[in-house]
Amino acid sequence: MSPPFVQITGLSKAYGGVQALADVSLTVETGEVHALVGENGAGKSTLIKCLSGVVRPDAGTVAVDGAPLPPGGIRAAEGAGIIALHQESTAFPHLGAADNIFVGREPRRFGGLLDGPRMAQEAQALMERLGERIDLHRRLEELSPAQRQMVGIARALSRRSRLLIMDEPTASLSARETQTLFRIIRQLQAEGVSILYISHRLEEVFALAGRVTVLRDGRLVGTRPIGEVSRDELVRMMVGRDLQAFEREVGAAGETLLDVRGLTRAGEFQDISFALRAGEIVGLAGLVGAGRSEVARAIFGVEPPASGAVTVAGAPLPPGSVRAAVARGVALVPEDRQHQGLVLPLPVGVNLLLVVLGTLSLGGFRSARKEKTTVAGLMQELSVRAAGPSVPAGTLSGGNQQKLALGKWLAASPRVLLLDEPTRGVDVGAKAEVYRLIRQLARGGMATLVISSDLPEILALSDRILVMREGRLAGELSREEATEERILALALPAAGEP
Amino acid sequence: MPLIDRVTRQREWGVGTLLILTLIVVGAVNPAFLSVGNLRDMLVQDVPTVIVACGLTFVIVLGEIDISVGALMGLLATVMGLLTSPSRVHWPVAAGVGVTLLLGAAVGLVNGLLVTGGRMPSIIVTLGMMTVLQGVNQLLLNGQWITDLPPGLRFFGLGTLLGMPVSVWAALIVVLLSVLLAQGTPLGRRLYAAGSNPDAARLAGLPVHGLKLFAFTLTGLLTAVATVVSVPRLSVIESGVGQGFELLVVTCVVVGGTSISGGQGTILGSVVAALLLGLVRPMLIFLRLGVSATYWERAIQGAFILAAVLADHLARRRPRLGART
Repeated sequence: MSPPFVQITGLSKAYGGVQALADVSLTVETGEVHALVGENGAGKSTLIKCLSGVVRPDAGTVAVDGAPLPPGGIRAAEGAGIIALHQESTAFPHLGAADNIFVGREPRRFGGLLDGPRMAQEAQALMERLGERIDLHRRLEELSPAQRQMVGIARALSRRSRLLIMDEPTASLSARETQTLFRIIRQLQAEGVSILYISHRLEEVFALAGRVTVLRDGRLVGTRPIGEVSRDELVRMMVGRDLQAFEREVGAAGETLLDVRGLTRAGEFQDISFALRAGEIVGLAGLVGAGRSEVARAIFGVEPPASGAVTVAGAPLPPGSVRAAVARGVALVPEDRQHQGLVLPLPVGVNLLLVVLGTLSLGGFRSARKEKTTVAGLMQELSVRAAGPSVPAGTLSGGNQQKLALGKWLAASPRVLLLDEPTRGVDVGAKAEVYRLIRQLARGGMATLVISSDLPEILALSDRILVMREGRLAGELSREEATEERILALALPAAGEP
Repeated sequence: MPLIDRVTRQREWGVGTLLILTLIVVGAVNPAFLSVGNLRDMLVQDVPTVIVACGLTFVIVLGEIDISVGALMGLLATVMGLLTSPSRVHWPVAAGVGVTLLLGAAVGLVNGLLVTGGRMPSIIVTLGMMTVLQGVNQLLLNGQWITDLPPGLRFFGLGTLLGMPVSVWAALIVVLLSVLLAQGTPLGRRLYAAGSNPDAARLAGLPVHGLKLFAFTLTGLLTAVATVVSVPRLSVIESGVGQGFELLVVTCVVVGGTSISGGQGTILGSVVAALLLGLVRPMLIFLRLGVSATYWERAIQGAFILAAVLADHLARRRPRLGART
């Protein structure tokens, strides 16, 4: 019997005292889509890094066609055809698409000069192989996330990739773009390229993979053929315990806390009107680019709308003033928590107190005792997993960071909470905790708007669901009538529209 | 791309337009401004700025900076003068020039090593280097002036070849080679890639540290070239040579459209900006606004920096064609 295409044996890696990867073995066959799942911190990233030669493992080997690779060399891994498409933006935004494909391995002529025509020609051929049309002279930053990803795939193919590692490739893609990506993955598979596919979205795993490997706490839980495992079983393998089903009792809605009337900004959103009542969780669904985040930012005063009015608890909110919004009890937890939600280098405690520092001070000076008790209380309430309040927020896992981004507003006890993609990049276990928090806040009488592209999430959380399509409210669904299909039907552009 | 788009979106076109407009307007007020003699004088004045701006563009494209080039020019001028002056060491001109070029490249290399190996911010490294170089320069000069440069050295600053000053030839060659490096070589592409996203560059297997060493060394070498072709025009070499030069060069690179955060910028932009900024002082003289008008030079150059930053800001707010959110 010939050896498997890629054989990983006993891979281990520790960072400081933390065992990120412990004795993990798996195989990838030629032309196989092999899914890798696990919670954040389960060791997926470390495995990818060891496999692609970015870090050197402490122990274990990677063998390609039976021949072991020298450990810890990007070029050696590339030479064997193992290429990782790292999570989002690991490319060069200011360079052209064709340059991005070839940088580091440029075709040359005249004894060392760039061979521009050949680059253009080969890039074009690669795009044709992928069946995609992209203006290759455009700078990468001018392309959409999906197009950037195609460039990344083309780059891997130009290096004769035989094992393509994709880390959360659909994180910033729309539904239609995801379908295109799937088509390309299946085509590459048919051409004999193997794919190691990492995703939090289990539907994708079931749609694509032949086998799935689960990691937990750096260890291998198991590898299963996809036909022999159910979704629930997979989740159980990932968390190591049963999750409560995502259900909630419908809260009794109270007085209207947020009233939005005719909010409009040309090119982004048009005539948006809705109301949020106390104790209510309202989902805002729609495709990426439908204008949902823009509406939330307009309500919060980050960028004022051209027209329309926002009323909080009966009193009008001056447009374009974040200070006024915060003073009146409106809070926004942004999508991009790393840049907009947290100050990563600062300690956990300081991040939790950012919003309320003013109210905790004594005559303009910080009060250490008040701060300490507030932080301790919050960390317990949020069940933040951190060594203590003094470790930098940036060292926490994605799920715990998200809890901090939420928690800093809890300290201020807002009346209206706007959440933009509250569980993006958050693992299953932490997701459940974020949901529990959101529900707990709603029970306390907060009015909550949840923007999410994750339909199961919207369905699990919302009392009502608003759907946006191309900048307009396309419809509203009650909890009873909402299904994934009905939401999608409202969110997708009708036939004939662009 | 339509012309109007080029002028508003691509900095070298915008600055170039401003350059031509300035020439036309000042020329209309005082035709002597456009005389061959004056144009040639202005060009010769711009030579050191243009040459060093080429190197510094690569440094800034990599997301680093070098503010030691002014002090380096001062030290190199002193070393070159001491080595070749008949009343001092009196080496052959070729040897003096050779040592000057090597020393320039060596100082650039040290800057690069401190930034990459020492993992220190380049603004601090080159600020320290600037102070050290100034100190050494004062030690060497010991309060004296060097006045007797040999004629062989004077040729680099004052001589002409085929009707054009030697120094302008030098600048032209440096600019052409730099453009070729930036646009036409794998090395150039990699410099831009490493500046655009250093992490991605590392993951792509590019030697980011090596690229930085190259850019700093090149800048040191080009500072030496600029010294060789500009300092011999001076009647004396004293401790003030190169003073404030670093600010002028950084200004040119930034006004020329190179982003201080790295990844983008063109040689041509820096060169055109150097020509524009070099116009300010002669313009104030030829407009005959009175002696005190020339005191406005610095203020106008400063305004150019602010205008460049503002232009970047406005360009970023304008949605790009094809970009999606």
